Amino acid sequence: MSNCMRQLLPCIALSIASAMACAEKTIVIVEGLGGEPRFVQGFAEQVDAIETASGKLVPPEQLQVFRNADAQRDAIMAYFETLAAESSPGDELLLYLVGHGSYDDHHYKFNLAGPDLTGEDIAGLLDAQAANVQVFVNTGSASGALGEMLERDGRILLLATRSGRERHATRFGTYLADAFVNEFADTNKNASVSAGEAFRFAERQVADFYERHNQLATEHPQLIGAMADRVVLARFTSAADATTDDALAALLVERQTMNADIEALRLRRETMAADDYHAALLEKMLALAMLEDRIEAQQEALQNAR
Amino acid sequence: MRDERCTLIVASLLLLPGVLAARDIHYGAVASDAVAACDTVAWRGQSAADCYREILGSDAAAAAKAEAAWALGDRQAANELFRAATSANPDDTTALVRWGDLYAASHQEAEALEMYREALAADPANAYAKLGAAHVLAGRFASEAGLYLESILSSNVPDGARVGAQLLTARIALENGDTRLAAQSLDEAEALIREHDWPPLDAHALRAALDLDAGVEDNAWIRRALDYNPAWGNVYAIPAHFLIIKRRYREGIDLFQRAVDIEPGLASAHEQLGINLLRDNQVSRARRHIEAAYAEDPFSPRVVNTLRLLDSFSDFRLVESRGADGDVPIILRLHKTERDVLAPYATDLVRESIAEFTSRYDFTLTEPVIVEMYPDHDDFAVRTAGMPGLGILGATFGYVIAMDSPSGRSVEEFQWGTTLWHEMAHVFTLEATDHRVPRWFSEGVSVYEEWRSGPSRGVRLSHMVLDKMRDDAFLPINRLDEGFIRPTYEGQVIVSYMQAGLICRFIDQQYGEGKLAAMLVDWRDGAATPAVIERVLGVDTDAFDDAFGRALDAEFGTLLASLDDWREKRKQLTRAVDNKDWQGVATIASELITLMPGHVTSNSPYLVLADAQRELGKTGAARATLETYWQKGGYEVGALGTLVRELRAAGANDKALAVHARINLIDPLNAELHGEYGELLLAAGQPQQALREFEVALALAPHDMATAWYRMAEARMALGEKAKAQANLLEALDIAPNFRPAQKLLLKLAGSQ
Repeated sequence: MSNCMRQLLPCIALSIASAMACAEKTIVIVEGLGGEPRFVQGFAEQVDAIETASGKLVPPEQLQVFRNADAQRDAIMAYFETLAAESSPGDELLLYLVGHGSYDDHHYKFNLAGPDLTGEDIAGLLDAQAANVQVFVNTGSASGALGEMLERDGRILLLATRSGRERHATRFGTYLADAFVNEFADTNKNASVSAGEAFRFAERQVADFYERHNQLATEHPQLIGAMADRVVLARFTSAADATTDDALAALLVERQTMNADIEALRLRRETMAADDYHAALLEKMLALAMLEDRIEAQQEALQNAR
Repeated sequence: MRDERCTLIVASLLLLPGVLAARDIHYGAVASDAVAACDTVAWRGQSAADCYREILGSDAAAAAKAEAAWALGDRQAANELFRAATSANPDDTTALVRWGDLYAASHQEAEALEMYREALAADPANAYAKLGAAHVLAGRFASEAGLYLESILSSNVPDGARVGAQLLTARIALENGDTRLAAQSLDEAEALIREHDWPPLDAHALRAALDLDAGVEDNAWIRRALDYNPAWGNVYAIPAHFLIIKRRYREGIDLFQRAVDIEPGLASAHEQLGINLLRDNQVSRARRHIEAAYAEDPFSPRVVNTLRLLDSFSDFRLVESRGADGDVPIILRLHKTERDVLAPYATDLVRESIAEFTSRYDFTLTEPVIVEMYPDHDDFAVRTAGMPGLGILGATFGYVIAMDSPSGRSVEEFQWGTTLWHEMAHVFTLEATDHRVPRWFSEGVSVYEEWRSGPSRGVRLSHMVLDKMRDDAFLPINRLDEGFIRPTYEGQVIVSYMQAGLICRFIDQQYGEGKLAAMLVDWRDGAATPAVIERVLGVDTDAFDDAFGRALDAEFGTLLASLDDWREKRKQLTRAVDNKDWQGVATIASELITLMPGHVTSNSPYLVLADAQRELGKTGAARATLETYWQKGGYEVGALGTLVRELRAAGANDKALAVHARINLIDPLNAELHGEYGELLLAAGQPQQALREFEVALALAPHDMATAWYRMAEARMALGEKAKAQANLLEALDIAPNFRPAQKLLLKLAGSQ
């Protein structure tokens, strides 16, 4: 739980999903074979973006990247075997596959140098993990073939295609990687991008691309699994927001309470008259805004004191 | 209703009986004397039903019975009887050709053509088969029709086939505006018609069309046709066709109305009346006639498609802008999902074009301008021609414009703003001349105005056009309309557009401003191209063609001489890009630009040069290259977006604003760009314009709605609309409670109240 101590603020922000909060988070990124130079470059850029974003979420020892000569089936399988032995139910696991996939109407394969990673391999290595929260992202062609095979409680799947028969090279990965650095992907403005936000951002961009270029869409991304908005994939602020200052900690707790209060109000919206709702919302938002001023002032004071 | 029609259209058109459609006059193509005797009665407008029934009940040949069944409206029986006739006597190409005629009359032209070809394979000299094929091809405006007609008219063929060929020749000549050839062909046809005592109705109708073209008010030919058969609607419908071809829609509508008045069962006239009423924005009246056509003939694809389009109108919304005192109203018909996005820009652009063209062409519009934009290109095509598959981007019917909406085509191939500008020029050239302007001039002015005053200015000629210019394939001005109506090679329509644009540009620049407007006056008065050229420009058409040719040589001669060199350099450029030889790329791209500075269409060397300069670290030069590209009318949205970012980074916000404005007229469906544009406008102290951009961004339902609402609030704050700003902020914070900029603005707002 050492990581939790280092990331007090994120833990508070995520406290609604208490089961997920303070979990040990492991992120694994696999870069597949590109083939053509444009895909090689594209996959490399996507992996760079994902790796950079992930580096802000977890310490280096919890981030594993397989690329170039390291991206071999045996090495990946061995890593997950070790990870399975160390993982516990409260952990989170994020696995990204960036590359081409293929599907022959029976079997899915993720293209690697040497033996490919099969659908069965992926299912096996994920199933072996104790982590209750698993996010599996596959940005490549035919990835939709994995939907049914991998679907499971507590597992969130972000797949570039809706079936294995969508076999053309995809654009989904490009846009997903963009979500990790694009502030517009963060729709609730909490300075982080959840799996749900990233997916919806990329899905919209994919649809827009095909529509604006008047092309038949050859990929239809799909999100499978619940709670995708509760899992953070990227954060725009540094994870070093934690504090040992009692005053600031109290303010942060107060903010957490206020956010919960606002959330409760929003849930009642349908039962309230519009004017009443807006009046209540205004009051709470002004209070929250003023609290945020105090938090910023306290942070600034602490900064100056250093 | 829609699904039912979909099902119907794919069913065999000949399966159901009871389709009542008058048979065309066949000029001896039918062998049976008994049928000919009944036809003589029918073509006089008298009931011949008993006469035909008698044939059906007799032991007449199957082919004769087929004709009788067809005349009685039982096409299914006719189909079976023709099948029996041709099966019983495979060598009977006469029956096979008439079977093809039945298919042609039943909207199955492809099958009809197959039958004519089959007949010609068995009997290569069969003139009626050639005539049938020519009719089908002429209906498609295919130049191959002429080959069949030449073959008939240069051979010893039955008089009936010769009459049919002369009448069709006259029809095509009228469509091409060649009234001399039309009259000559009619002379020859009429002599044979008299000799055989065939009905003179077709010839009279074509004569009536000739008179109408010549502006003869008192049309004796119509009276003579009606004396022969008072219920023959085609006496009006045939001349109406030529008015429509010449875009004289309202006059055509009047004649089609008369056609259905005297022959209420004439489905084709109801169909054309309905389609052309739509072109005049008389939607309810149009629907009545389209439905009447459907009742008479449910198998016309144009009718079925148009009914489906009318059904879809419930998904469209009307947006009206009345403008200032003295302005004509502008009415937009936009799809409900695009209304809020497109209406502001389309209204402004139309208003701007009206101001520009009113002054330039000295003509004031007198009716509302109606602009329809279709997200589905096939809807636009049906709106325009009754059939999908149309290759054009927009069409103008007078005060009514129909065009693709920006979402109807890819951003690479379609600049909606330029298309709308082009169509608005048509509104002026059509209305200023009472729709008497020749096609070449109307298109020429529209293309020229795209280049001169449109959203993306600059002369843009494709390589195909330059090749044709080099090969001296431009048509003389007298015959330029043929390039639009009956092209003889692939791409000739585009070449004709560009030639017409260059001619109008030449007139404007060589003979002086005001000449184009003066020519419109002459056309309104009914003058033909040679007379207009001579009177307004003071030269005959031959001299004009010579002068235009010399001007082209002077302007493009060097370029045309180096086209092969240009192509070789393109190959070198591709190789250099593949090799990432950026210095080489920069050198070759610069040479290409020197050869053809106006090449800003696809694969423009400007874009390659900018990329190379960026790779070489010359970011300032890359920006300058893109600026030149933009100023010359370049419209590749990705490049313009890059230019905006580079201009902003360089602090050149004024230019960035101008580029953004161009992008809106190419790609208005990008929420992010509207947001960026609005922020620039806000920073430039233009909150009202910024608000418009933010409203459009919001209408596009962007992924990041909180930012969209926040931007709205910022603009409203700048406009002093505090209550609305607060409401917008609450919308933003409702989505994103911790959105810090929105929180700060809310506090600022609270502090100011």
